[in-house]
Formats: sequence, C-alpha cells, structure tokens
Amino acid sequence: MYKKNIKIKLKRTLTPVFVSLGVLVIWEFIVSITNYPEYLLPRPIVIFSALIANFNSLLYHTGITLFEAMVGFVIANILAFFIAVIFTHSKTIEAGFHPFVIALQTTPIIAMAPLLVLWFGSDIGSKIAAAALVSFFPTIVNGVKGLETIDEEALDLFKSFSATRRQIFAKLRLPNSLPFFFQALKTSAALSVIGAIVGEFVGANRGIGYIILTSTYHMETVKMFTAIIMSAVAGMLFFGIVSIIEKKIVFWQKF
Amino acid sequence: MKTIISLKNVEKYFNSLHALKNITFDVNEGEFVSIIGPSGCGKTTLLKIIGGLTNFSKGSVTIESGSVESALQGRKFGFVFQKPVLLPWRNVLENIQLPLEILDRRNASEIPSKLLKIVGLEKFENFYPNELSGGMQQRVSIARALSFGPSILLMDEPFGSLDEITRDRLNLELLRIWREESSTISSITFVTHSVPESVFMSDKVIVLSARPGAVQQIVDIDLPRPRTSEIKYSKKYLELVQCIRKILK
Ligand SMILES: Nc1ncnc2c1ncn2[C@@H]1O[C@H](COP(=O)(O)OP(=O)(O)OP(=O)(O)O)[C@@H](O)[C@H]1O
Ligand SMILES: [Mg+2]
Repeated sequence: MYKKNIKIKLKRTLTPVFVSLGVLVIWEFIVSITNYPEYLLPRPIVIFSALIANFNSLLYHTGITLFEAMVGFVIANILAFFIAVIFTHSKTIEAGFHPFVIALQTTPIIAMAPLLVLWFGSDIGSKIAAAALVSFFPTIVNGVKGLETIDEEALDLFKSFSATRRQIFAKLRLPNSLPFFFQALKTSAALSVIGAIVGEFVGANRGIGYIILTSTYHMETVKMFTAIIMSAVAGMLFFGIVSIIEKKIVFWQKF
Repeated sequence: MKTIISLKNVEKYFNSLHALKNITFDVNEGEFVSIIGPSGCGKTTLLKIIGGLTNFSKGSVTIESGSVESALQGRKFGFVFQKPVLLPWRNVLENIQLPLEILDRRNASEIPSKLLKIVGLEKFENFYPNELSGGMQQRVSIARALSFGPSILLMDEPFGSLDEITRDRLNLELLRIWREESSTISSITFVTHSVPESVFMSDKVIVLSARPGAVQQIVDIDLPRPRTSEIKYSKKYLELVQCIRKILK
C-alpha cells in the first residue's frame, strides 16, 4: 500500500517533467534542422544559456514585479475582505454597489493602466495599483459567496444556542468562508502578476514587463523569452506560496 | 407530573402549503416522546416549532409554562439534527465546547471531557469530523447538545442515516445517557421514521398523518424501564409495533 503510494506520487511528478523535456528536445531539433531565424524562435539551449548568463539582472527585475504584485495583492485583498463583510451585512449596500463592481471588473486593465500612471506616477505606485485592481474582484465575489453559503442546519444549531449575530459571524460565517477566500486568493495571486506587468508595459524603467517591452524594440527575442519564462516563474511562485498557506489554514478541506 | 412541552391547536402554513394541522399534545417531565409519520408530514417543522427555530401560524406552544422564546434564551433546548452538523475546522473536543464558548462558560472545562467518556469517544478528542464515522459524528453532536446542560432534548431522526447495528447500539446508549446521574435532561422529544425504534425508546408515540400533518393517535408505550434488547422479543413490544404500523397504513 505504502509502496504503491510512492509509485503514484513519483509518476505524477515525473510525467510532466518527461513531457516538458520531450517538447524541448523536439523544439530544439526542429529549429536546428529548419534553420529557423533566431529572432523569431530561438532554440531552447540558447534561451537557457542566456537565462543563466543574465540571471542576476533577471532576478532583480522579477523581484521588482513580484514586489509590486504582492503589495497590490495584499492591499486589494484586505480591502476586498472588508467590503465583502459589509456586503453580507447589508443587502442594500450590496445592491447599490453591485453594478459598479461589475462595471469595474469588466473594464480591461489595459484600458485603465494609462490612467493609473496619471494618478499614481510612473514609478511602482501605478503598477501596485494595477495589480491591486485586478486581484480585487475574485476576492470580493467569492468572499461574499463564502460568507453567505452556510448550511441551514448549522445556522439552526447556532440559533438553538441563542448565539448573537457577532458570534455567528466569528464562529460560523468566517471560518466557513475561508475555503472560498483561498480559492479567490489563488486566482488573484496569478492575476496580480499580470496586473503588475501590464502596468509596466505602460511606462517603467524596471520590472519584467519593462524587459519584455524593451527587448521587443531591439528585436532581442532571446532576452524576451528569458523574461517571459521569469514572469511565468513569478506567477507560479506566488500561486504556490498562496497554495501552501491555504493547505495550512484550510486544513479540513479535501484538496 | 410537570408538563414540560405543551402544544395546543398548533397550525403551520408555508404560504399556501398547510404543513401542520391542529396539533395538540404534551410532553411531561421524565418522558421520552417519539413523533412518527410519513416522509414530509411535518415532523422536522414540528420539532423546530417546539425549539423556537420556526414560527407557527396559529395555536399556542408553552415550555415549562413559559414562552418558547424565553426557553430558547434560557438555553433550555439541546438540539440534535438529522445530520451531525459538526464544524469541520474544529476537532471533536472543540465541537463539544462550541456551545460553552457561546454561553461564555469556558471555565466549565471538565464537562466536555466527561461527556466524551459518556459517549465513548475519549480517545478521539483530537480527531477532526472528517476522520470519524457517521455514528461517531452523531455521538459528538449528542455530546455537544448535552454540554451546556439543557433540560429539553429535541432530536430529529438522529440515527436515521446509520446502519441498524449502530442505530440499536446508539439507542441503548442514549437511554443510558439520559438516565446518568449527571444528566440534566428532563424530557426527550424524538423524531423518527422507524416504528420499532419509536416503540423501543418511548413512553408515548405520537403518530402523525400525511400532509397536512395532524395527530392521528397517541400510543402509550407501557413497557418497563430500563429497556434492554430482550424487550424486543416480548409479546407486548411486538403488539405495539404492529398497532402503530396499522395506524400508519
Ligand atoms: N422552509 C420551508 N418553506 C416551505 N416549505 C417547507 C419549508 N420547510 C418544510 N416545508 C414543507 O413542509 C412540509 C413538511 O416538511 P418537514 O421537513 O417538516 O417534513 P418531515 O416530516 O420532517 O419530512 P422527512 O421525514 O422527509 O424529514 C413539506 O411538504 C416541506 O416541503
Ligand atoms: Mg425531517
């Protein structure tokens, strides 16, 4: 039984590794035999050697972007949490603000980004704002859902103890909503990295978005690929951190 | 004999749906009363009306000659629902402590562990609900209902989802817990689907008719106490089971 589990785990981790390696080998092979121009599609080996050669600089820019994303994420989610709590306490307020939330949510971040630069300057302020703006909505939508989706019988149970509204909130609604919140936090972790990069596209002198943009201007496709890889790593890293915290806090949930 | 629960001509409508019709009966001190009836006849609704979780449309309900609200505020009701309704983020001990926290009686720390022993789960206090079987979960929910010392136990098909062997064992355990010296429970009102269970447990079985639920007959169960499994082979027991089955037909 125990041995079998290890086998399954090994299979789960090794399969994607082998698949990715296979894709890279085929890519390398096809590009080299067709002599495809490097400025369109560089070979994986070239990309990886560039990645290693410029690692310190890439790490610096990735760190900037990740910092913007995380600060925006934290601000937005604290705000979203409190707004979700207010919404669940007052249906009137929720009804009043709901169209506003939807309108803001459906406006593409790329359309708002120039305005954010105008408001928050071309330094990291506007990137934090962009990251915050995109990571705000999943939390508010899921948060309201989590605070309101409670078992009728659990509510009856609390009523049978003559529990106060505040006790019901602290001991039932809040813990009950945590799985919903974390579901949203994972989504908004990934989105906040996107928001920060979009913010950098509009105007920046550092960050991974800045690297992607400048390498386009100079046709430095290899550099662009390394930056794309780093942006993916940043997104996955942030998502992974949130997932680990989720497993610790929402331990009762089956994953 | 003191009357604990008294219902007089209680009616319940859900909008146009007539759920309960002219319900009149008493539950006295020291009594175990079962409510039985076809599915959807309003048993859960009736129990919730008694416990103040649902309002009623007409008639009167008095609890120890006071109102339902004052009994609810005085924390006289211990509820056991059909589902165990345990909080998955709390372990067994913390689930049993929940009512004590809400009543701000955290100093009563010896009660939960005593109850764990009574329901036979002393080795499981650190387990989480998803690590327990259905029968164990329901025992936790019984311990939770008893933890704050209510005098009126209201149970809605507490063992309905369990297998027969577990159900029989928990039935005996419930009767034993009720008779414990430390027990604060003066009466138990017990909703069930099972005719044999109602006869085995009760002093009185209230048979409801199909929708709208009305009291069809109240059957006195004059079997001796304490009840043991042997009673199930007695002629009297079998007659009572048959009698209630006939009424339900
Ligand atoms: N909140 C509600 N709103 C509207 N109708 C309801 C509500 N609760 C119950 N009913 C209706 O009242 C009737 C009685 O329901 P109740 O749950 O009390 O029956 P029951 O005897 O407990 O059924 P079961 O044996 O299946 O548990 C049903 O027809 C049900 O559809
Ligand atoms: Mg029911």
